[in-house]
Amino acid sequence: MNRKKFTPLILPIIILIIWYLITSVFNLVTSYVLPSPINVFESAITLFSSGKLFTDSIDTLFKVFGGMLFASIVAIPLGILLGWSKTLEEMSSFVISVLRPIPPVAWIPFSILWFGIGTVPAIFIIFMGCVFPILIYTIDGVKRTDKVLIEAAQTLGAGDFDILYRVMLPSAVPYIVSGLKVGIGIALMCTISAEMIGSSSGLGFLILTATNLFDTGTTVVGMLTIGVIGLVLDYIFGKIQKQIFW
Amino acid sequence: MSIKIKNINKSYSAHEKEVKVLENINFDINDGELICLLGPSGCGKTTLLRLIAGLEKANSGEIYVNDELVSKPSKDRGFIFQQYSLFPWLNVLDNVMFGLNLTNESKEENLKSAKRYLERVGLSDVENNYPHELSGGMKQRVAIIRSLLNHTPVLLMDEPFSALDMQNRHKLQEQLIGVWKRFENTIVFVTHDVDEAVYLGDKIVIMDKNPGKVKKIVDIELPRLRNRESIEFIEAQNKVKNLLDVGD
Ligand SMILES: Nc1ncnc2c1ncn2[C@@H]1O[C@H](COP(=O)(O)OP(=O)(O)OP(=O)(O)O)[C@@H](O)[C@H]1O
Ligand SMILES: [Mg+2]
Repeated sequence: MNRKKFTPLILPIIILIIWYLITSVFNLVTSYVLPSPINVFESAITLFSSGKLFTDSIDTLFKVFGGMLFASIVAIPLGILLGWSKTLEEMSSFVISVLRPIPPVAWIPFSILWFGIGTVPAIFIIFMGCVFPILIYTIDGVKRTDKVLIEAAQTLGAGDFDILYRVMLPSAVPYIVSGLKVGIGIALMCTISAEMIGSSSGLGFLILTATNLFDTGTTVVGMLTIGVIGLVLDYIFGKIQKQIFW
Repeated sequence: MSIKIKNINKSYSAHEKEVKVLENINFDINDGELICLLGPSGCGKTTLLRLIAGLEKANSGEIYVNDELVSKPSKDRGFIFQQYSLFPWLNVLDNVMFGLNLTNESKEENLKSAKRYLERVGLSDVENNYPHELSGGMKQRVAIIRSLLNHTPVLLMDEPFSALDMQNRHKLQEQLIGVWKRFENTIVFVTHDVDEAVYLGDKIVIMDKNPGKVKKIVDIELPRLRNRESIEFIEAQNKVKNLLDVGD
Protein backbone atom coordinates (compact mmCIF):
# COMPACT_ATOMS: atom_id res chain seq x y z
CA MET A 1 0.00 0.00 0.00
CA ASN A 2 2.64 2.50 1.07
CA ARG A 3 4.90 1.43 -1.73
CA LYS A 4 2.14 2.01 -4.26
CA LYS A 5 1.53 5.48 -2.87
CA PHE A 6 5.15 6.52 -3.35
CA THR A 7 5.68 5.00 -6.79
CA PRO A 8 4.35 8.08 -8.64
CA LEU A 9 6.80 10.26 -6.68
CA ILE A 10 9.96 8.45 -7.80
CA LEU A 11 10.15 9.96 -11.27
CA PRO A 12 9.51 13.58 -10.19
CA ILE A 13 12.25 13.28 -7.57
CA ILE A 14 14.71 11.90 -10.12
CA ILE A 15 13.84 14.71 -12.53
CA LEU A 16 14.27 17.26 -9.76
CA ILE A 17 17.70 15.88 -8.87
CA ILE A 18 18.93 15.82 -12.48
CA TRP A 19 17.47 19.27 -13.03
CA TYR A 20 19.26 20.51 -9.91
CA LEU A 21 22.54 18.90 -10.94
CA ILE A 22 22.68 20.34 -14.46
CA THR A 23 21.56 23.84 -13.48
CA SER A 24 23.00 24.51 -10.04
CA VAL A 25 25.83 22.05 -9.45
CA PHE A 26 27.49 21.68 -12.84
CA ASN A 27 26.17 24.94 -14.29
CA LEU A 28 25.70 23.32 -17.67
CA VAL A 29 23.04 25.84 -18.78
CA THR A 30 22.42 29.48 -17.92
CA SER A 31 19.36 30.48 -15.99
CA TYR A 32 17.56 32.12 -18.89
CA VAL A 33 17.77 28.92 -20.85
CA LEU A 34 16.64 26.78 -17.94
CA PRO A 35 16.12 28.13 -14.43
CA SER A 36 17.37 26.09 -11.52
CA PRO A 37 14.88 24.54 -9.11
CA ILE A 38 16.02 27.02 -6.51
CA ASN A 39 15.30 29.86 -8.88
CA VAL A 40 11.82 28.50 -9.47
CA PHE A 41 11.28 28.04 -5.77
CA GLU A 42 12.25 31.65 -5.07
CA SER A 43 9.90 32.89 -7.79
CA ALA A 44 7.16 30.73 -6.38
CA ILE A 45 7.64 32.22 -2.91
CA THR A 46 7.54 35.76 -4.27
CA LEU A 47 4.45 35.11 -6.39
CA PHE A 48 2.75 33.26 -3.61
CA SER A 49 3.37 35.79 -0.85
CA SER A 50 2.34 38.71 -3.01
CA GLY A 51 -0.92 36.89 -3.68
CA LYS A 52 -0.35 37.28 -7.40
CA LEU A 53 -0.26 33.57 -8.05
CA PHE A 54 -3.59 33.19 -6.32
CA THR A 55 -5.36 36.03 -8.15
CA ASP A 56 -3.93 34.91 -11.48
CA SER A 57 -5.11 31.37 -10.86
CA ILE A 58 -8.59 32.54 -9.94
CA ASP A 59 -8.65 34.76 -12.99
CA THR A 60 -7.67 31.93 -15.30
CA LEU A 61 -10.09 29.53 -13.65
CA PHE A 62 -12.86 32.09 -14.15
CA LYS A 63 -12.11 32.18 -17.87
CA VAL A 64 -11.78 28.40 -18.07
CA PHE A 65 -15.10 27.82 -16.35
CA GLY A 66 -16.74 30.62 -18.32
CA GLY A 67 -15.63 29.04 -21.58
CA MET A 68 -16.65 25.59 -20.36
CA LEU A 69 -20.03 26.86 -19.24
CA PHE A 70 -20.87 28.43 -22.59
CA ALA A 71 -19.47 25.43 -24.42
CA SER A 72 -21.68 23.12 -22.34
CA ILE A 73 -24.75 25.30 -22.90
CA VAL A 74 -24.18 25.04 -26.64
CA ALA A 75 -22.72 21.57 -27.01
CA ILE A 76 -24.86 19.44 -24.69
CA PRO A 77 -28.32 20.31 -26.09
CA LEU A 78 -26.94 20.35 -29.63
CA GLY A 79 -25.21 17.02 -29.07
CA ILE A 80 -28.41 15.46 -27.76
CA LEU A 81 -30.28 16.71 -30.80
CA LEU A 82 -27.65 15.48 -33.25
CA GLY A 83 -27.30 12.15 -31.50
CA TRP A 84 -31.04 11.71 -31.66
CA SER A 85 -31.67 12.69 -35.27
CA LYS A 86 -29.66 10.90 -37.92
CA THR A 87 -30.67 13.46 -40.53
CA LEU A 88 -29.48 16.41 -38.48
CA GLU A 89 -26.23 14.63 -37.70
CA GLU A 90 -25.60 13.85 -41.35
CA MET A 91 -26.36 17.46 -42.23
CA SER A 92 -23.90 18.85 -39.73
CA SER A 93 -21.15 16.25 -39.68
CA PHE A 94 -19.19 17.90 -42.49
CA VAL A 95 -19.21 21.32 -40.85
CA ILE A 96 -18.20 19.85 -37.51
CA SER A 97 -15.40 17.80 -39.06
CA VAL A 98 -13.97 20.88 -40.75
CA LEU A 99 -14.26 23.22 -37.77
CA ARG A 100 -13.01 20.76 -35.19
CA PRO A 101 -9.31 20.50 -36.15
CA ILE A 102 -8.85 24.29 -36.32
CA PRO A 103 -6.57 25.24 -33.41
CA PRO A 104 -8.31 27.63 -31.01
CA VAL A 105 -5.39 30.07 -31.48
CA ALA A 106 -6.52 30.57 -35.07
CA TRP A 107 -9.68 32.24 -33.78
CA ILE A 108 -7.72 35.07 -32.18
CA PRO A 109 -8.23 37.58 -35.03
CA PHE A 110 -11.96 37.00 -35.09
CA SER A 111 -12.29 36.99 -31.35
CA ILE A 112 -10.70 40.46 -31.32
CA LEU A 113 -12.99 41.66 -34.11
CA TRP A 114 -16.08 40.26 -32.44
CA PHE A 115 -15.34 40.73 -28.75
CA GLY A 116 -12.55 43.33 -28.53
CA ILE A 117 -9.86 42.64 -25.98
CA GLY A 118 -9.84 41.40 -22.39
CA THR A 119 -11.79 38.66 -20.69
CA VAL A 120 -14.57 38.05 -23.23
CA PRO A 121 -12.35 37.06 -26.18
CA ALA A 122 -10.33 34.87 -23.80
CA ILE A 123 -13.51 33.05 -22.83
CA PHE A 124 -14.36 32.75 -26.52
CA ILE A 125 -11.02 31.11 -27.33
CA ILE A 126 -11.50 28.62 -24.51
CA PHE A 127 -15.05 28.06 -25.69
CA MET A 128 -13.78 27.20 -29.17
CA GLY A 129 -11.27 24.82 -27.66
CA CYS A 130 -13.67 22.74 -25.61
CA VAL A 131 -16.99 22.98 -27.44
CA PHE A 132 -16.12 20.21 -29.91
CA PRO A 133 -15.02 17.49 -27.51
CA ILE A 134 -18.14 18.09 -25.39
CA LEU A 135 -20.30 18.02 -28.51
CA ILE A 136 -18.78 14.87 -29.90
CA TYR A 137 -18.89 12.99 -26.62
CA THR A 138 -22.52 13.99 -26.15
CA ILE A 139 -23.51 12.84 -29.65
CA ASP A 140 -21.66 9.60 -29.05
CA GLY A 141 -23.29 9.06 -25.66
CA VAL A 142 -26.78 9.57 -27.03
CA LYS A 143 -26.12 7.27 -29.96
CA ARG A 144 -24.82 4.57 -27.67
CA THR A 145 -28.06 4.40 -25.72
CA ASP A 146 -28.87 0.73 -25.30
CA LYS A 147 -31.56 -0.14 -27.83
CA VAL A 148 -33.30 -2.42 -25.35
CA LEU A 149 -33.79 0.52 -22.97
CA ILE A 150 -35.40 2.58 -25.72
CA GLU A 151 -37.69 -0.29 -26.61
CA ALA A 152 -38.50 -0.96 -22.97
CA ALA A 153 -39.53 2.67 -22.63
CA GLN A 154 -41.65 2.45 -25.78
CA THR A 155 -43.53 -0.56 -24.49
CA LEU A 156 -44.11 1.33 -21.24
CA GLY A 157 -45.83 4.08 -23.17
CA ALA A 158 -43.02 6.59 -23.73
CA GLY A 159 -43.28 8.93 -26.72
CA ASP A 160 -40.38 10.36 -28.71
CA PHE A 161 -39.78 13.25 -26.34
CA ASP A 162 -39.98 11.01 -23.26
CA ILE A 163 -37.36 8.78 -24.81
CA LEU A 164 -35.08 11.70 -25.56
CA TYR A 165 -35.47 13.21 -22.13
CA ARG A 166 -35.91 10.18 -19.87
CA VAL A 167 -33.77 7.58 -21.61
CA MET A 168 -31.22 9.02 -24.01
CA LEU A 169 -30.20 11.99 -21.89
CA PRO A 170 -29.57 10.07 -18.65
CA SER A 171 -27.83 7.27 -20.47
CA ALA A 172 -25.54 9.82 -22.14
CA VAL A 173 -24.57 11.48 -18.85
CA PRO A 174 -21.41 9.42 -18.27
CA TYR A 175 -20.23 10.27 -21.78
CA ILE A 176 -21.06 13.93 -21.30
CA VAL A 177 -18.97 13.97 -18.14
CA SER A 178 -16.10 12.36 -20.07
CA GLY A 179 -16.51 15.11 -22.66
CA LEU A 180 -16.34 17.76 -19.94
CA LYS A 181 -13.20 16.13 -18.57
CA VAL A 182 -11.51 16.20 -21.96
CA GLY A 183 -12.86 19.71 -22.51
CA ILE A 184 -11.39 21.08 -19.30
CA GLY A 185 -7.97 19.73 -20.23
CA ILE A 186 -8.15 21.50 -23.57
CA ALA A 187 -9.48 24.65 -21.91
CA LEU A 188 -6.37 24.80 -19.72
CA MET A 189 -4.16 24.29 -22.75
CA CYS A 190 -5.86 27.28 -24.35
CA THR A 191 -5.16 29.68 -21.50
CA ILE A 192 -1.97 31.11 -22.98
CA SER A 193 -3.47 31.82 -26.40
CA ALA A 194 -6.60 33.11 -24.73
CA GLU A 195 -4.69 35.53 -22.55
CA MET A 196 -2.57 36.79 -25.43
CA ILE A 197 -5.41 39.11 -26.35
CA GLY A 198 -5.15 42.11 -24.08
CA SER A 199 -5.53 40.25 -20.81
CA SER A 200 -3.82 41.92 -17.88
CA SER A 201 -4.00 39.00 -15.51
CA GLY A 202 -4.20 35.25 -15.46
CA LEU A 203 -1.67 32.45 -15.57
CA GLY A 204 -1.26 32.66 -19.33
CA PHE A 205 -0.58 36.36 -19.04
CA LEU A 206 1.85 35.69 -16.19
CA ILE A 207 3.79 33.24 -18.34
CA LEU A 208 3.81 35.53 -21.37
CA THR A 209 5.09 38.60 -19.50
CA ALA A 210 7.66 36.60 -17.56
CA THR A 211 8.93 35.07 -20.79
CA ASN A 212 9.27 38.52 -22.36
CA LEU A 213 11.35 39.57 -19.36
CA PHE A 214 13.45 36.40 -19.46
CA ASP A 215 12.15 35.65 -15.99
CA THR A 216 12.24 31.92 -16.57
CA GLY A 217 11.64 31.11 -12.90
CA THR A 218 8.22 32.75 -12.99
CA THR A 219 7.49 31.10 -16.32
CA VAL A 220 8.04 27.67 -14.82
CA VAL A 221 5.92 28.53 -11.77
CA GLY A 222 3.08 29.53 -14.11
CA MET A 223 3.46 26.34 -16.11
CA LEU A 224 3.46 24.14 -13.05
CA THR A 225 0.44 25.93 -11.60
CA ILE A 226 -1.58 25.19 -14.75
CA GLY A 227 -0.40 21.61 -14.52
CA VAL A 228 -1.44 21.28 -10.89
CA ILE A 229 -4.85 22.87 -11.56
CA GLY A 230 -5.33 20.36 -14.36
CA LEU A 231 -4.37 17.54 -12.04
CA VAL A 232 -6.85 18.64 -9.37
CA LEU A 233 -9.70 19.12 -11.84
CA ASP A 234 -8.97 15.78 -13.41
CA TYR A 235 -9.11 14.17 -10.00
CA ILE A 236 -12.45 15.82 -9.22
CA PHE A 237 -13.96 14.75 -12.55
CA GLY A 238 -12.60 11.26 -12.02
CA LYS A 239 -14.47 11.14 -8.70
CA ILE A 240 -17.67 12.34 -10.36
CA GLN A 241 -17.29 9.73 -13.07
CA LYS A 242 -16.88 6.98 -10.52
CA GLN A 243 -20.12 8.13 -8.93
CA ILE A 244 -22.17 7.99 -12.10
CA PHE A 245 -20.76 5.09 -14.09
CA TRP A 246 -23.29 2.43 -13.25
CA MET B 1 -57.29 -8.68 -24.75
CA SER B 2 -57.41 -11.12 -27.60
CA ILE B 3 -54.68 -11.35 -30.20
CA LYS B 4 -55.13 -12.43 -33.80
CA ILE B 5 -52.10 -13.28 -35.89
CA LYS B 6 -52.93 -13.39 -39.58
CA ASN B 7 -50.65 -14.64 -42.37
CA ILE B 8 -47.50 -13.14 -40.94
CA ASN B 9 -44.41 -13.32 -43.11
CA LYS B 10 -41.15 -11.80 -42.06
CA SER B 11 -37.72 -11.84 -43.61
CA TYR B 12 -34.48 -10.04 -42.88
CA SER B 13 -31.94 -9.10 -45.45
CA ALA B 14 -28.47 -10.04 -44.30
CA HIS B 15 -25.41 -9.68 -46.57
CA GLU B 16 -27.69 -8.82 -49.51
CA LYS B 17 -29.55 -12.10 -49.02
CA GLU B 18 -33.17 -12.37 -48.00
CA VAL B 19 -33.55 -14.73 -45.07
CA LYS B 20 -37.05 -15.87 -44.37
CA VAL B 21 -37.58 -15.91 -40.62
CA LEU B 22 -41.32 -16.43 -40.29
CA GLU B 23 -43.60 -18.03 -42.85
CA ASN B 24 -47.36 -17.85 -42.82
CA ILE B 25 -47.95 -17.62 -39.11
CA ASN B 26 -51.61 -17.91 -38.16
CA PHE B 27 -53.13 -18.36 -34.75
CA ASP B 28 -55.36 -16.64 -32.25
CA ILE B 29 -54.91 -16.02 -28.56
CA ASN B 30 -57.98 -15.58 -26.38
CA ASP B 31 -58.38 -12.90 -23.77
CA GLY B 32 -56.74 -13.94 -20.51
CA GLU B 33 -54.92 -16.89 -21.99
CA LEU B 34 -51.35 -17.85 -21.17
CA ILE B 35 -49.70 -19.02 -24.36
CA CYS B 36 -46.19 -20.41 -24.65
CA LEU B 37 -44.18 -20.15 -27.84
CA LEU B 38 -41.83 -23.11 -27.89
CA GLY B 39 -39.23 -23.91 -30.47
CA PRO B 40 -35.54 -24.36 -31.23
CA SER B 41 -33.11 -21.46 -31.21
CA GLY B 42 -33.45 -19.30 -34.30
CA CYS B 43 -37.01 -20.33 -35.18
CA GLY B 44 -38.21 -16.75 -34.86
CA LYS B 45 -39.82 -16.74 -31.40
CA THR B 46 -38.35 -13.38 -30.47
CA THR B 47 -39.21 -11.99 -33.88
CA LEU B 48 -42.84 -13.04 -33.55
CA LEU B 49 -43.07 -11.57 -30.05
CA ARG B 50 -41.55 -8.30 -31.28
CA LEU B 51 -44.06 -8.21 -34.10
CA ILE B 52 -46.91 -8.55 -31.59
CA ALA B 53 -45.35 -5.77 -29.53
CA GLY B 54 -45.09 -3.50 -32.57
CA LEU B 55 -41.32 -3.27 -32.22
CA GLU B 56 -40.90 -4.85 -35.65
CA LYS B 57 -42.78 -4.65 -38.94
CA ALA B 58 -43.93 -7.70 -40.89
CA ASN B 59 -43.36 -8.03 -44.63
CA SER B 60 -46.94 -9.13 -44.99
CA GLY B 61 -49.84 -10.08 -42.76
CA GLU B 62 -51.46 -8.36 -39.82
CA ILE B 63 -51.68 -8.66 -36.08
CA TYR B 64 -54.78 -7.46 -34.29
CA VAL B 65 -55.04 -6.88 -30.58
CA ASN B 66 -58.71 -6.53 -29.59
CA ASP B 67 -59.44 -6.09 -33.29
CA GLU B 68 -57.08 -3.15 -33.51
CA LEU B 69 -54.22 -3.37 -36.00
CA VAL B 70 -50.80 -3.32 -34.33
CA SER B 71 -48.57 -0.69 -35.92
CA LYS B 72 -46.34 0.58 -33.13
CA PRO B 73 -45.43 -0.20 -29.51
CA SER B 74 -48.04 0.57 -26.92
CA LYS B 75 -48.28 0.49 -23.16
CA ASP B 76 -51.09 -2.02 -23.62
CA ARG B 77 -48.46 -4.57 -24.57
CA GLY B 78 -45.77 -4.82 -21.92
CA PHE B 79 -42.56 -6.53 -22.97
CA ILE B 80 -40.14 -8.44 -20.78
CA PHE B 81 -36.88 -8.74 -22.67
CA GLN B 82 -34.57 -11.70 -22.84
CA GLN B 83 -31.74 -9.45 -21.71
CA TYR B 84 -31.99 -7.16 -18.69
CA SER B 85 -33.72 -3.92 -19.48
CA LEU B 86 -33.87 -1.88 -16.28
CA PHE B 87 -32.78 1.74 -16.46
CA PRO B 88 -29.39 1.68 -14.74
CA TRP B 89 -29.64 5.28 -13.52
CA LEU B 90 -32.92 4.71 -11.68
CA ASN B 91 -33.37 2.78 -8.46
CA VAL B 92 -35.87 -0.05 -8.25
CA LEU B 93 -38.72 2.19 -7.13
CA ASP B 94 -38.18 4.71 -9.93
CA ASN B 95 -37.72 1.92 -12.43
CA VAL B 96 -41.07 0.35 -11.69
CA MET B 97 -42.74 3.76 -11.70
CA PHE B 98 -41.29 4.69 -15.11
CA GLY B 99 -44.52 4.06 -16.98
CA LEU B 100 -46.71 5.67 -14.33
CA ASN B 101 -44.56 8.78 -14.22
CA LEU B 102 -45.14 9.33 -17.93
CA THR B 103 -48.77 10.07 -17.25
CA ASN B 104 -49.96 12.89 -15.08
CA GLU B 105 -51.31 10.78 -12.28
CA SER B 106 -50.26 11.96 -8.86
CA LYS B 107 -46.77 10.94 -7.91
CA GLU B 108 -47.96 10.01 -4.45
CA GLU B 109 -50.49 7.51 -5.75
CA ASN B 110 -47.82 6.01 -8.01
CA LEU B 111 -45.44 5.63 -5.11
CA LYS B 112 -48.07 3.90 -3.02
CA SER B 113 -49.01 1.32 -5.60
CA ALA B 114 -45.36 0.76 -6.55
CA LYS B 115 -44.50 -0.03 -2.94
CA ARG B 116 -47.48 -2.31 -2.62
CA TYR B 117 -46.53 -4.30 -5.72
CA LEU B 118 -42.89 -4.58 -4.67
CA GLU B 119 -43.91 -5.82 -1.27
CA ARG B 120 -46.06 -8.51 -2.81
CA VAL B 121 -43.11 -10.07 -4.61
CA GLY B 122 -40.73 -9.57 -1.71
CA LEU B 123 -38.69 -6.76 -3.18
CA SER B 124 -39.38 -4.12 -0.53
CA ASP B 125 -35.90 -4.47 0.90
CA VAL B 126 -34.24 -3.47 -2.35
CA GLU B 127 -36.58 -0.69 -3.45
CA ASN B 128 -33.83 1.90 -3.12
CA ASN B 129 -31.15 -0.23 -4.76
CA TYR B 130 -29.87 0.30 -8.26
CA PRO B 131 -30.14 -2.43 -10.92
CA HIS B 132 -26.44 -3.35 -10.80
CA GLU B 133 -26.92 -4.25 -7.14
CA LEU B 134 -29.61 -6.84 -7.92
CA SER B 135 -29.42 -10.50 -8.81
CA GLY B 136 -30.65 -11.66 -12.21
CA GLY B 137 -33.90 -12.99 -10.78
CA MET B 138 -34.57 -9.74 -8.94
CA LYS B 139 -33.96 -7.76 -12.12
CA GLN B 140 -36.51 -9.77 -14.05
CA ARG B 141 -39.04 -9.52 -11.24
CA VAL B 142 -38.57 -5.75 -11.19
CA ALA B 143 -39.06 -5.67 -14.97
CA ILE B 144 -42.28 -7.66 -14.61
CA ILE B 145 -43.57 -5.38 -11.86
CA ARG B 146 -42.68 -2.39 -14.04
CA SER B 147 -45.03 -3.70 -16.73
CA LEU B 148 -47.76 -4.85 -14.35
CA LEU B 149 -47.81 -1.52 -12.58
CA ASN B 150 -48.55 0.01 -15.95
CA HIS B 151 -51.83 -2.00 -15.94
CA THR B 152 -50.77 -3.74 -19.09
CA PRO B 153 -53.49 -6.13 -20.30
CA VAL B 154 -51.03 -8.02 -22.51
CA LEU B 155 -47.67 -9.21 -21.27
CA LEU B 156 -45.13 -10.39 -23.83
CA MET B 157 -42.28 -12.27 -22.21
CA ASP B 158 -39.16 -13.33 -24.06
CA GLU B 159 -37.40 -16.12 -22.15
CA PRO B 160 -37.41 -13.92 -19.05
CA PHE B 161 -36.12 -16.65 -16.75
CA SER B 162 -33.58 -18.30 -19.02
CA ALA B 163 -30.61 -16.82 -17.18
CA LEU B 164 -31.74 -18.11 -13.79
CA ASP B 165 -30.88 -21.29 -11.96
CA MET B 166 -33.58 -23.93 -11.73
CA GLN B 167 -34.70 -23.12 -8.20
CA ASN B 168 -35.20 -19.43 -8.90
CA ARG B 169 -36.75 -20.25 -12.20
CA HIS B 170 -39.38 -22.45 -10.61
CA LYS B 171 -40.08 -19.85 -7.97
CA LEU B 172 -40.62 -17.11 -10.53
CA GLN B 173 -42.79 -19.36 -12.69
CA GLU B 174 -45.01 -19.93 -9.68
CA GLN B 175 -45.13 -16.21 -8.94
CA LEU B 176 -46.00 -15.51 -12.54
CA ILE B 177 -48.99 -17.84 -12.35
CA GLY B 178 -50.08 -15.97 -9.20
CA VAL B 179 -49.78 -12.63 -10.96
CA TRP B 180 -51.59 -13.88 -14.04
CA LYS B 181 -54.50 -15.21 -11.99
CA ARG B 182 -54.79 -11.96 -10.08
CA PHE B 183 -54.54 -9.57 -13.02
CA GLU B 184 -56.08 -11.80 -15.65
CA ASN B 185 -53.72 -10.53 -18.35
CA THR B 186 -53.12 -12.20 -21.64
CA ILE B 187 -49.59 -13.56 -21.58
CA VAL B 188 -47.41 -14.70 -24.46
CA PHE B 189 -44.41 -16.46 -23.00
CA VAL B 190 -41.46 -17.44 -25.18
CA THR B 191 -39.29 -20.34 -24.08
CA HIS B 192 -37.23 -23.15 -25.50
CA ASP B 193 -37.66 -25.23 -22.37
CA VAL B 194 -40.35 -27.92 -22.56
CA ASP B 195 -40.75 -28.13 -18.79
CA GLU B 196 -41.35 -24.41 -18.55
CA ALA B 197 -43.87 -24.44 -21.40
CA VAL B 198 -45.84 -27.31 -19.91
CA TYR B 199 -45.81 -25.74 -16.46
CA LEU B 200 -47.03 -22.35 -17.65
CA GLY B 201 -49.06 -22.69 -20.82
CA ASP B 202 -52.78 -23.04 -21.42
CA LYS B 203 -51.65 -23.66 -24.94
CA ILE B 204 -48.24 -24.33 -26.39
CA VAL B 205 -47.48 -23.12 -29.87
CA ILE B 206 -44.74 -25.41 -31.11
CA MET B 207 -42.60 -23.83 -33.78
CA ASP B 208 -40.21 -25.15 -36.38
CA LYS B 209 -37.32 -23.41 -38.03
CA ASN B 210 -35.91 -22.62 -41.49
CA PRO B 211 -38.19 -20.86 -42.01
CA GLY B 212 -40.00 -20.37 -38.73
CA LYS B 213 -43.53 -21.69 -38.79
CA VAL B 214 -46.16 -23.11 -36.48
CA LYS B 215 -45.83 -26.86 -36.32
CA LYS B 216 -48.57 -27.68 -33.88
CA ILE B 217 -50.65 -26.09 -31.17
CA VAL B 218 -51.15 -28.21 -28.05
CA ASP B 219 -53.65 -27.56 -25.29
CA ILE B 220 -52.46 -28.30 -21.78
CA GLU B 221 -55.49 -28.89 -19.64
CA LEU B 222 -53.90 -29.53 -16.28
CA PRO B 223 -55.16 -27.75 -13.17
CA ARG B 224 -53.11 -24.94 -11.57
CA LEU B 225 -50.72 -24.88 -9.83
CA ARG B 226 -49.26 -27.75 -11.77
CA ASN B 227 -47.42 -30.54 -10.12
CA ARG B 228 -44.23 -31.44 -11.93
CA GLU B 229 -44.17 -34.89 -10.36
CA SER B 230 -47.65 -35.91 -11.50
CA ILE B 231 -48.05 -38.54 -14.19
CA GLU B 232 -50.20 -36.18 -16.26
CA PHE B 233 -47.49 -33.53 -16.22
CA ILE B 234 -44.82 -35.95 -17.32
CA GLU B 235 -47.10 -37.35 -20.03
CA ALA B 236 -47.81 -33.87 -21.36
CA GLN B 237 -44.09 -33.14 -21.31
CA ASN B 238 -43.34 -36.27 -23.34
CA LYS B 239 -46.05 -35.46 -25.82
CA VAL B 240 -44.67 -31.96 -26.39
CA LYS B 241 -41.13 -33.29 -26.62
CA ASN B 242 -42.15 -35.78 -29.28
CA LEU B 243 -43.94 -33.12 -31.29
CA LEU B 244 -40.88 -30.90 -31.09
CA ASP B 245 -38.61 -33.65 -32.37
CA VAL B 246 -40.81 -34.85 -35.24
CA GLY B 247 -39.08 -34.26 -38.55
CA ASP B 248 -35.70 -33.42 -37.06
N1 LIG C 1 -32.32 -7.75 -36.87
C1 LIG C 1 -32.06 -8.88 -37.54
N2 LIG C 1 -31.39 -8.86 -38.71
C2 LIG C 1 -31.14 -9.99 -39.40
N3 LIG C 1 -31.51 -11.20 -38.99
C3 LIG C 1 -32.18 -11.33 -37.83
C4 LIG C 1 -32.48 -10.16 -37.04
N4 LIG C 1 -33.14 -10.57 -35.93
C5 LIG C 1 -33.24 -11.90 -36.04
N5 LIG C 1 -32.67 -12.36 -37.17
C6 LIG C 1 -32.62 -13.76 -37.62
O1 LIG C 1 -33.91 -14.29 -37.55
C7 LIG C 1 -33.89 -15.62 -37.06
C8 LIG C 1 -34.83 -15.75 -35.89
O2 LIG C 1 -34.34 -14.97 -34.81
P1 LIG C 1 -35.08 -14.90 -33.42
O3 LIG C 1 -34.25 -14.05 -32.54
O4 LIG C 1 -36.49 -14.49 -33.61
O5 LIG C 1 -35.02 -16.43 -32.96
P2 LIG C 1 -35.41 -17.06 -31.57
O6 LIG C 1 -36.36 -18.15 -31.87
O7 LIG C 1 -35.86 -16.02 -30.62
O8 LIG C 1 -34.04 -17.70 -31.10
P3 LIG C 1 -33.45 -17.85 -29.60
O9 LIG C 1 -34.16 -19.00 -28.98
O10 LIG C 1 -32.02 -18.16 -29.85
O11 LIG C 1 -33.67 -16.56 -28.89
C9 LIG C 1 -32.45 -15.93 -36.74
O12 LIG C 1 -31.93 -16.72 -37.78
C10 LIG C 1 -31.78 -14.62 -36.69
O13 LIG C 1 -30.46 -14.73 -37.16
MG1 LIG D 1 -35.09 -15.20 -28.83
